[in-house]
Amino acid sequence: MKLGAFLSCQDIERYLGEDESRVHALRGVSLEVEPGSVHAVVGPSGCGKSTLLYILGLLDHPDGGSVMLEAEAVSHLPDDELARRRNEFIGFIFQFHFLMEDFTAQENVMIPMRRLGRLPETAMRDRAAGLLEAVGLSDKLQRASRHLSGGEQQRVAIARALANDPRVVLADEPTGNLDTKNSHRAFELLKNIVQQNQMALLLVTHNPAIAEACDWIHEMMDGRIIASHARRSG
Amino acid sequence: MTPPLYIALRFLMHRKRALLLSLSGVVCGVGFFICMQAQTQGFAKYFIDSTLGSNGALVVRSRFEPRQLDSIVPTKTSNTNVAHRQYFEGITNANEIMRVSRKFSNVVSCSPVLRGTLSARSGFENATVELYGIDPALHLQTTDLAHQIAGGSLYDFRNKPDSVIVGSRLAQTLNLEVGDTVQLLAPGGQYRRFTVAAMAKSGVGTIDSTRVYGHLRVAQTLLHKPYPASLIIYKLRDPDRAPALAQHFENLFQHDAASWQEREANTLHLFLTLRLSAAITVSLVILLAGFGIFNVLTMTVLSKMKEIAILRSMGYRRRDISAIFLWQGGMIAAVGSLIGCIAGALLSWGVSKIPIHLRGLLSTDYFVVAWDWRHYVWAILLAMISVFIASYVPARRAAQLPPVATLRGSSV
Ligand SMILES: Nc1ncnc2c1ncn2[C@@H]1O[C@H](COP(=O)(O)OP(=O)(O)O)[C@@H](O)[C@H]1O
Ligand SMILES: [Mg+2]
Repeated sequence: MKLGAFLSCQDIERYLGEDESRVHALRGVSLEVEPGSVHAVVGPSGCGKSTLLYILGLLDHPDGGSVMLEAEAVSHLPDDELARRRNEFIGFIFQFHFLMEDFTAQENVMIPMRRLGRLPETAMRDRAAGLLEAVGLSDKLQRASRHLSGGEQQRVAIARALANDPRVVLADEPTGNLDTKNSHRAFELLKNIVQQNQMALLLVTHNPAIAEACDWIHEMMDGRIIASHARRSG
Repeated sequence: MTPPLYIALRFLMHRKRALLLSLSGVVCGVGFFICMQAQTQGFAKYFIDSTLGSNGALVVRSRFEPRQLDSIVPTKTSNTNVAHRQYFEGITNANEIMRVSRKFSNVVSCSPVLRGTLSARSGFENATVELYGIDPALHLQTTDLAHQIAGGSLYDFRNKPDSVIVGSRLAQTLNLEVGDTVQLLAPGGQYRRFTVAAMAKSGVGTIDSTRVYGHLRVAQTLLHKPYPASLIIYKLRDPDRAPALAQHFENLFQHDAASWQEREANTLHLFLTLRLSAAITVSLVILLAGFGIFNVLTMTVLSKMKEIAILRSMGYRRRDISAIFLWQGGMIAAVGSLIGCIAGALLSWGVSKIPIHLRGLLSTDYFVVAWDWRHYVWAILLAMISVFIASYVPARRAAQLPPVATLRGSSV
């Protein structure tokens, strides 16, 4: 395990479902994510990509193996501690954006900040406005999220994932239901912000062009990482 | 504002119809509860005030002696053997008893009464009346008679030994007006004529329909009693402590003493039963409101599964999630209680303006309501408890929802 890794996992095993429908979803997966690196996880549907992402994001517990966050094993931490680490260090982006419907774009971005509670109300407001400006939504701060287009919603989700200045952003098919143009815009945006701020990004994608643009590509198949290769520099 | 409170507020505001429904449930429950209590206690308090004002908080009556000769020395417990007493009608040493009892700090004043049942006649009307021979000055100090005068003047009564005060309903029965003459038939057989100086209206049916107040000396000559007083009426600083004092007086004076609680036990019990049954009925409304809130919150949890999963993924703890739903219940309870209290007060006020012609146990022309802050505290407490119970289950359920299941459900 490299010392530089911020988030890593070792020999992760995960079973899902009960009895007959029990599935061995992850079969000994190991992965390391260093600051400033961008990782793509690719593979056919049902190979365990989301499951891995939830475990790395401390949302789910593995049945075997360990997850390390800042060189600390997190498997025995109580739920509240896991929640605190998610809030402080991890940003999530999901395929279907998952915004809070009745909240405006700006309010959505402020929700993680409220939990962290480090900034006063006005500073949170300003920071949310800044993040939304960075994703090109400075004119839609007060718009209710359900009145935003799909691409706009995903950009709000990106801004929200970055709200607490996390160390790592985990994205599960973030561009999955966007058209090609919007997909690339959203990905470039995310990648630039992450690299500028020395964060790490791990994203699950089906889009080969997006995967090719990442520093690392991890190919998954039937609950295993069958190949990891670095992008040819250039 | 904590993040859960903030989110709770936002959730509430976006379900206005459900919010209004839950709110109105609490408002109704709290409002009805307060109004019901105000009425039932109003009538009870009115009755108590009237009976205290007319018959005092404590009455000392017949002298008694222990029947068994072997316990000549009365002990502290002797008065518990009520069955072994022999009673002697009347109080022979009334002045002595009054002198001693005035030294008790709880005693405000006391007044001797010589009581007897007589026949009254006016024109063609006859009635059996209870004559209260009183010392006007003492009696006015001890009772509310001064405030009960409804027509005529106390001044006339005090200055004319041959005048009487007649109970308002008795006056109706006998067709009497102030200034009329009423005849009272003494046990000896001859009628004596009295002028009606005033009418008294206590509000208690049995008093107003039978009582005639006369001067103590006149009553003595009319009733031919061998003793100067048949009872002593007491006004107490703290009527709630009357039973203890009655006990004490029995030991001290060896006279039968009765507190108003003992005297009116039946009626008080009736009022208590009424209040309880009203409280139970209205508690059902509050319970129903709680059930409504339970439904609304359960629906909210179901419709906010996605939001709950997002919040959890963003680092909200289980207890933050349950706090979001408990806050929603809490706010409904708080706002509902506040509006409910106002509604209850308005309702009580409105009820007190409803004319009602009561001439039974009590007589009154309007509904009687009692204003007591404790009704409000109780109503709020009940609402809080029922809402808390109603919110607890959905809140717990929301906290236990595994976020991954929801996230997967929409993304696989
Ligand atoms: N609750 C569940 N019960 C049983 N099997 C499940 C459950 N959730 C997911 N699976 C299975 O686990 C495997 C991995 O799922 P997932 O990680 O979502 O795959 P991916 O994201 O790569 O498409 C799949 O075969 C899926 O059918
Ligand atoms: Mg998936």
